[in-house]
Amino acid sequence: MLQARKNRLWKLIIILSLSAGGILLILFSLNSKLDLFYTPSEMLEANIKSGYRIKLGGMVRNGSIKREGTVITFEVTDFKKDVPVTFDGVTPDLFKEDSGVVILGYFINGMFEAEEIFAKHDENYMPPELSIEEGKQ
Amino acid sequence: MIGEISHLLSLSAVLLLSLVLIFNLFFSFNQSHSNQLILSMRLFNQACWLVFISFGIYIYLAISDDFSIAYIANHSNSQLPIFYKVTSIWSAHEGSMFLWIVFLIAWSFLFINALDKNHPLKKPTLLMLSLIILGFLLFLLITSNPFERILPFGAIEGADINPVLQDPALAIHPPMLYLGYVGFVISFSFITAYLFHGDFKLDWEQDIKNWSLVAWIFLTIGIALGSWWAYYELGWGGYWFWDPVENVALMPWLAATAFMHSLFASSKSDVLKTWTMFLGILIFALSLFGAFIVRSGIIDSVHSFANDPERGLYLLSFSGSITLLALSVFAYRLPSLKSSKLVVSGSKESFLSMNNILMITSIFSIFLGVTYPLIIESINGDKVSIGPPYYNTIFAPLILIAAVFIMISVDALWQRSMSLRSLFITMAIPTFLSFVSIYLIWAFASVFSLLAYIGIFSGLLIIFSYINRIINNFFNKKYINKGSAVAHLGLGLLFFAVSMNSIFSYEKNLNLAPGQSISVNESVQEFYFKDIRVFSASNHDVISAEVSLLHDGKEISLNPQKRKYATRGQITSESAIHASFLKDTYLTIGDQLENSSWTFSLKINYFIKWIWFSAALMVLGIFLTIFKKKAS
Repeated sequence: MLQARKNRLWKLIIILSLSAGGILLILFSLNSKLDLFYTPSEMLEANIKSGYRIKLGGMVRNGSIKREGTVITFEVTDFKKDVPVTFDGVTPDLFKEDSGVVILGYFINGMFEAEEIFAKHDENYMPPELSIEEGKQ
Repeated sequence: MIGEISHLLSLSAVLLLSLVLIFNLFFSFNQSHSNQLILSMRLFNQACWLVFISFGIYIYLAISDDFSIAYIANHSNSQLPIFYKVTSIWSAHEGSMFLWIVFLIAWSFLFINALDKNHPLKKPTLLMLSLIILGFLLFLLITSNPFERILPFGAIEGADINPVLQDPALAIHPPMLYLGYVGFVISFSFITAYLFHGDFKLDWEQDIKNWSLVAWIFLTIGIALGSWWAYYELGWGGYWFWDPVENVALMPWLAATAFMHSLFASSKSDVLKTWTMFLGILIFALSLFGAFIVRSGIIDSVHSFANDPERGLYLLSFSGSITLLALSVFAYRLPSLKSSKLVVSGSKESFLSMNNILMITSIFSIFLGVTYPLIIESINGDKVSIGPPYYNTIFAPLILIAAVFIMISVDALWQRSMSLRSLFITMAIPTFLSFVSIYLIWAFASVFSLLAYIGIFSGLLIIFSYINRIINNFFNKKYINKGSAVAHLGLGLLFFAVSMNSIFSYEKNLNLAPGQSISVNESVQEFYFKDIRVFSASNHDVISAEVSLLHDGKEISLNPQKRKYATRGQITSESAIHASFLKDTYLTIGDQLENSSWTFSLKINYFIKWIWFSAALMVLGIFLTIFKKKAS
C-alpha cells in the first residue's frame, strides 16, 4: 500500500472513531433526557421522583374531564389504576373521553402535571400495552 | 368485476417480472446475446404497463365508489369531492404501498428505457430493478392486498377519509415523498449493476447524476410539504417534532445530500469514487429502512400504520436481503475498484469530504436516536422515547462545524491547496459580521440559549460567505456557481430561521367569553373575541370564532374554526394564521367551558415562513444545477 493511502486510511479511522466516541458520550449523557413510558399502574408502582420527566400513556377516564379557565384536569386510566392529570392549554382534537392519550410531564405530589398532550393521527389508536390488556379481558 | 381485472393485471405483472428474472438468471449469462435483452426489456415494459393500468383502474374504482373493495370502503366516501376520493387511495397502508410501487416502477421504467440499448450495464440494471419491483409487488399482494373484496355483500357507504387528511398539502405530500424515496432505486440498481458487471473503466456518474438530483428535489419538497401541513393543520403550531417517521425521512435526505456533493467532487476531480458508490447504495437502503419502520409499526409514532408483525418481517427480510446483496458485491469489488486520486488537503473537495463525514455522523446519530428505544426495550423492557433535546444537542455542534467548512470551501479551488492567507481573507469578513449580528440579536432578545445561538451563528456564517462571494462576483467578475450559491443560501437561511424561531416564538393560553376583550401583552395590545357562529358546510359542521387583534398597532381579524365531520364524528381544528414578514400570528380555538366562555391558544411564531422559503431556495439551487449541466 502506498504511504499516502495508508496515511489517509489512518486519518479516516481516527475521524470515524472520534465521531463514534463523541456520539457515544452524548448518548450516555443524554440518558437523563430520555423520557420513560409508563402506564398508570406502572407509574404508581415505580415511585417517580418529582423532577423526572416521563411519558404517561392510557385512556382518558369517562366523565373525568373538568375545565377551569384554560386549565383542564382529567384522569388517565389503564382500567386498574387512575392518575389525575392537569394541563394548561388547548388539547388536541383527538383528545376526548374514553380514548387513548399519551402525556409528557412530571408526577408531583400525586398529580401529573402535563407539559404536552399527544393524540394520534388515527382515532382508533390505543397505547399498545392497553390494547393487549383489553384483548385479555 | 373491474376490481378483479385490476387485481389480475398486478398478478400478471408479477408473472412477467418472474419470467424476466428466470430467463436471465437460469438460461444464459452471455452478454452478446442481444435478443435476450430485447425480450427481457419487452417483458419488463409490459409488466410496467400492466401495473400502471391496474393502478389507473384502481383510481377509477375509487372515483366510482366501489365499496365492495374493502380498502376503498374503509377510506373513502361517496360524499367526498373527486379530488379526495383519489387521494384517499394513499391515506392508509395498502393504497399508499400501491402508490409507492407504482412510483418505483415509473422511475425504473423511465430510466431503463432512457438508457442506451447497447449500454453494457443495461442488462444487470434491468435485473436488479426487476428483482426489487417483484419483491415489493409480492409484499403488496401477499400481506397488504388493496384489492380485497368484502364478500358476499359490499358496504353501502364508505367509512370516509380521516378529515385531517382532507387537505391539498397532505394530498400532495405522500406522492412527493415517495417519488423522492424510490427515485434513488436508480442509483442503487445502477451502482450495484456496475459492481456486478465488473468493468471499472466505465463512467457511471453522468448516467445517474440528473436522476438523483431530480429525486432529491422530490424528497425535499415532500419533507417540506409534510412539515408545512403539520404546522397549519394539526393546530399545535410546530413544524418538526423529531418523530421517528420524520427521522427516517431525514436520513435518506442527508445521505442523498452527501451523495450529491461527492458526485460533484468525483466528476470534477476524480476523487471519492468508491465513497460515492457507497452513498448511492446507502440512500435507498435508508429509504427501505424507513418503509420498514413506518409500515411495521415497530416504533410508536404519530405516523405509523397499524402494528403488523407479518408485514414487518417480510419488509425487514426483503429490504435486508437486497441491501446485503448490494453491500456484499460492493465489499467483494472493493479491492479491485479503480483507485481514484487522492484528495488534496485544503482543496474544495477536502472540505466537501469533511462535510460528507459530518452528514454521515448525523445520519448515524439519528439512526441511534430512532433505534435506541428499541434496543433499550429489548434489553431491560423499559419504554423510552428520545425527544428534541437529544437531536438539538447533537445537531448544534455538527451544524457549526459544517458551516465553517462551507464558508471555507466557498473560496477553495478544486484539486488545489488553499494558502493560509486566502483562508484568512475568506473567513475574516463572514466571521466578523456573524459575531456582530449575534451580539445585536442577543442584545435585542435578551434570552440566552446556547444551542439556538450556535444555530444562528452557523446560518449567518453561510449566508455572509455567499453574499460576500456574490458581491465579489458582481464587482470583480469572480466566478460563481449559481446553483450552489442559491442552495447554500437556502441552507444558511434554514439554520437561521429555525434557531430564531426557537428563541423568539411564544404561546399564550386565553379564556374569554364572546364580546369580551383583553390585553395580552405589549405586542398584542387587544384581543377582542367578537362572536361565535355555527353553520353547516358540505360534509361537516363548523364552529367559527370571530376574533380581532390589535397586534403591533395593526388590526388583524382571525377566524379559527372547529369542524365536526359527519361520517366519522371526528373533530378537527382549523387554525387561523396571519402571516407578516417576520412572524405568524397563529390562533386556535379550544373548548367551551360551562360558563359559555371559550379557550384559545395564541402563538406568535417568528421566522416560521422562512423555513419553507429556505427549502424552496435549496430546491431552486438544485434546479439551476440540473439546467446548467444540460447546457454545457
